[in-house]
Amino acid sequence: MASVERPTYRLLGQRIPYVEGPLKVTGRAEYTDDLRRPGMLVARLLRSPWPHARLRSIDTTAARALPGVYAVLTGERYPTPFGVLPITHDETAIAVGKARYTGDILAAVAAQDERTAEAALALVRVDVEELPEYSDPRTGIARVAEPIHARGLNGSNVQKEVVQDFGDVDAAFSQAAQTARVRGTFAGVTHAFTEPMATIAESTPDGRLTVWSATQVPHYLHRSLSEVLGIPMHRIRVIKPEVGGAFGGKSDPLPHEIVCAALAIETGRPVKLLFDREDVFYTNHGRHPTQNDVRIAVDADGRILAYDIEALIDGGAWSSFGTVTTYYNGVLSMGPYRVPNFRYHGRRVYTNRPPSGAMRAHGGTNIRYSVEVALDLLAEQLGRDPFDLRAINALPPNSTTVNEFRITSTSFLKCLAAAREKSGWDAKFRRLPYGRGVGLGCGFYISGSNSPIHFTPKMPQSTVHLKVDMDGGIAVHSMQADIGQGSNTLLAAIVAEVLGVDLERVHVQRVDSDVSPIDIGSYSSRVTFMMGNAARSAALDLRGQLIAAAAELLGRPAESIETTHERFQVRGAPEVGVSFAAALEKAMERVGALTATGAYSTTPKGGTFKGARAGTAPAYSFAAYVAQVDVDVETGEYHVEKIWAAFDCGRALNRLAVEGQIEGSIHMGLGQVMGESMNYRGARLFNPSFLEYKIPTADQMPEVEILLVAEDDPEGPFGAKEAGEGPLIATLPAVGNALYDAIGVRFTELPITPDRVLRGIDRRRREGRPWKGA
Amino acid sequence: MHLDPFELHRPTSLDATVRLAGDLAGRFDYLAGGTDLLPNYKMHLNLRPHLIALDRVPELRGRSLERLGAMERLADLERDPALRAAFPGLADAVSEVATPLVRASGTVGGNLLVETRCFFFNQSYFWRASLGFCLKADGDRCHVVPQKERCYATFSGDLAPPLIALDAEVEIAGADGRRRIPLAAMYDAGGDGIRRTTLAPGEIVVAVHLPSAARGLRSRYKKLRVRPSYDFPELGVAVAGRWEDGGRVERLRLAIGGAETYPRRFDDLTSALEGGTLSDERVRALAEAVGERVRPVHNTFLLPDYRRRMVAVYVRRALAEARAGRAG
Repeated sequence: MASVERPTYRLLGQRIPYVEGPLKVTGRAEYTDDLRRPGMLVARLLRSPWPHARLRSIDTTAARALPGVYAVLTGERYPTPFGVLPITHDETAIAVGKARYTGDILAAVAAQDERTAEAALALVRVDVEELPEYSDPRTGIARVAEPIHARGLNGSNVQKEVVQDFGDVDAAFSQAAQTARVRGTFAGVTHAFTEPMATIAESTPDGRLTVWSATQVPHYLHRSLSEVLGIPMHRIRVIKPEVGGAFGGKSDPLPHEIVCAALAIETGRPVKLLFDREDVFYTNHGRHPTQNDVRIAVDADGRILAYDIEALIDGGAWSSFGTVTTYYNGVLSMGPYRVPNFRYHGRRVYTNRPPSGAMRAHGGTNIRYSVEVALDLLAEQLGRDPFDLRAINALPPNSTTVNEFRITSTSFLKCLAAAREKSGWDAKFRRLPYGRGVGLGCGFYISGSNSPIHFTPKMPQSTVHLKVDMDGGIAVHSMQADIGQGSNTLLAAIVAEVLGVDLERVHVQRVDSDVSPIDIGSYSSRVTFMMGNAARSAALDLRGQLIAAAAELLGRPAESIETTHERFQVRGAPEVGVSFAAALEKAMERVGALTATGAYSTTPKGGTFKGARAGTAPAYSFAAYVAQVDVDVETGEYHVEKIWAAFDCGRALNRLAVEGQIEGSIHMGLGQVMGESMNYRGARLFNPSFLEYKIPTADQMPEVEILLVAEDDPEGPFGAKEAGEGPLIATLPAVGNALYDAIGVRFTELPITPDRVLRGIDRRRREGRPWKGA
Repeated sequence: MHLDPFELHRPTSLDATVRLAGDLAGRFDYLAGGTDLLPNYKMHLNLRPHLIALDRVPELRGRSLERLGAMERLADLERDPALRAAFPGLADAVSEVATPLVRASGTVGGNLLVETRCFFFNQSYFWRASLGFCLKADGDRCHVVPQKERCYATFSGDLAPPLIALDAEVEIAGADGRRRIPLAAMYDAGGDGIRRTTLAPGEIVVAVHLPSAARGLRSRYKKLRVRPSYDFPELGVAVAGRWEDGGRVERLRLAIGGAETYPRRFDDLTSALEGGTLSDERVRALAEAVGERVRPVHNTFLLPDYRRRMVAVYVRRALAEARAGRAG
């Protein structure tokens, strides 16, 4: 195979420390809670202690009368429904008519300080009629006595039902040499980002409203504020300070953000609303508790003939991204494999639990676990190596899936080869002693949603503005949201790379809707791909202006000028050139400060059937992970010793950030495997704290060996694809399959806690089925 | 969640502390490291209007191989090589308490008297109000073992089991003067789970005394928890013993925490083994006998059946490791 020479870049591909890093590590970066406004009030929320109740009346008289209280709001003041998806507006800023989960917002207070606000909340009298509580999605499928939302399908609590059928699944199963079935059960997990939600709002006498908020999608917040408060968008200014992690949990416009703004309008004073950790747990929007049922049919060689999948998804109290979740649990189950026949039935059901929503690797994680465990089973049934089984099923590059996803670049086979070799798989698989094992898990994820919320293919998904003045500094404006993942650094690096200048010249501006052109924010792993292309395009425009000026100064045609470090020179005659500064000065003679704009739009993709656009993306990431585990077979405790993570993100533009994303993803994935779980007693969340919600500690982290082996993507900026979410997915099945190799037990319920491990070991012994001689 | 205001007192002598405790009878809590008390106060658990801070009381300080002042910080114990050499099991336990940050504030006395824990108790006021308050705070019934008489919250200190296994004593000061009792006797196993110690109202733990016989023992503490840091014990097993060269055990003590409302020792089971050799079979029998007696309930993260089953495993391992380990 002829190898194509890959271009190399001056900055991109290096390990680039975050541009805001020095501010963050010295405590100088400004997060929302660091901001103070003169005369600022504090807001607190009254939350429903009832899982499901009809609100008869809410009496706020005594609360209003308390000295130091400036406003008390209840739901009827701003009853306009909203929600992140235009088709499922089922939330209100404050509960109207019903409380739908323990933690639902019933009233809000703005007061001089937190204690006064809490004292006021205690004076609010709420009269309710308690309603039947629905905590199990299974009971919500059929008609129920008291649907949580009127929009539930046919009087049930079903929020969304998806039925898809491609090819002839029944025929494929009837011809199968082997089939496998895995019924997975997954506890809900939550993002557990470091910075709790925080919002400050200020309504000023010029008729404008300014909102600072810890959000990952400033634009959706901007829209929702406008819709619910009835204020045109141009009179609202949304500012995103630094954000301390989000992972999807700050991607919905959230009720408290609107409540805070409403209180600012009511009081005429700046208002701050800062959550404590328990508030964050109730707000949730984490990964859905899910039950899935996966059947896979293969031929005698192990080629996949068909998938037949069902998913029952516990949505909690609201829709959130749930329609997307319901599609993703089906359509993201196929890649990285070619699946010629596919049937899916997914239902997302409202319950009286904190709402679930989008969380890192949204919709692609739980289903992936069951699929990869089923493939491990099939490999065993066929007597084939799990790597070989994956390899013969790999989607080829430049192909189309049965549901009409366009696949362009894929380095999945390279990932498989690297993980197999580096992990020493062939010497370990089924050969390590009882209690130790290796497992393979693979992954596939979108690199940006092709058909995002609110946008048509005619509107760019990302826009970047550049301005350079006589100081030689380049200001970059975009509404992309750096939430800690390093998008500001990448934005600066792309601009610097194209212009040939030092990174220190480039200043990425804080997101401010008054000046930042719209980018639809940090979700669906879209930022590197889309913002990156927009930034590249803007920088090329600016470079063109500078080259034209250089050409004029040098008396040479522009086509002959090349860009080098801080200099424009004649190709082939490097001694003939001008500095960046000289070119800039020349270019500014006519127009003053130079400006440039760049945008990225997706082209339409997908079929014409219902739901065809769900899961379409301009590119996809691929992964092959091997985990090695060591199980204490007497206690069920286990340690993940090492993970070999081969990941296809195209070209890694900031290697440091990509490695951080992969390590962080593995930690997060490991949490869902090992112990993280939203535990409920009925509908009530049992463990809303970091003590009892068991995020793995540093000493539970395995050694991680990152293997970046991919080829460039043809459409990604400088060949890049996503690395923010896809790296999580393969972690779970790699560990699950490694546990099987270690002790011969298939785990289909997550998290896999030590008591479950021990029960599995017991069961196998009871059944008289020794494993590896034990 | 915020702290409600309280009045903070900072006496500078033990006498003044005891006097103050008399004056504020029933209306105060002692504040040692605050790592447990203050989070509980934020959750509005059994608030008192006064806190008597113990950080300025010199009698509560001091650390030697004979005596550990109640206000000695766990981090200081952890960094004390002489202590580790003399009492390896105690050192295990100290270094496994919570996190380095908590150990920087947490104290010996605070860990011995740490509030018992339960899913239904260690929750915010909002949470508890939502479900209905419990016997241990603001309510009249137990949600774990439904009844109205007894609290089943779990004893969650790590230091008590190893100290009990060393036959440590506590020095107590109160209005009637000072007294010294075995640490094991400070926990009121006959109580209702709410009242958990034999301390009289206002009495204060001044120090832990380690008998000279405690030195030279082989000891070990094994802690079960979900994560190897941060978490309270779901089970804590301490053993301390002396073995002759021939392998015969001269003295053996075993104490367990993290499983029930009180830390417990099992002298009848262990003394029966003294004078003989600890064969694998005897160790297994002991471990299983202990496991039979321990009755965890479902109020921590791991299921009670599992915790109970782990008693035997942890006892066996603690014994094996203690025996193989260096004598203190």
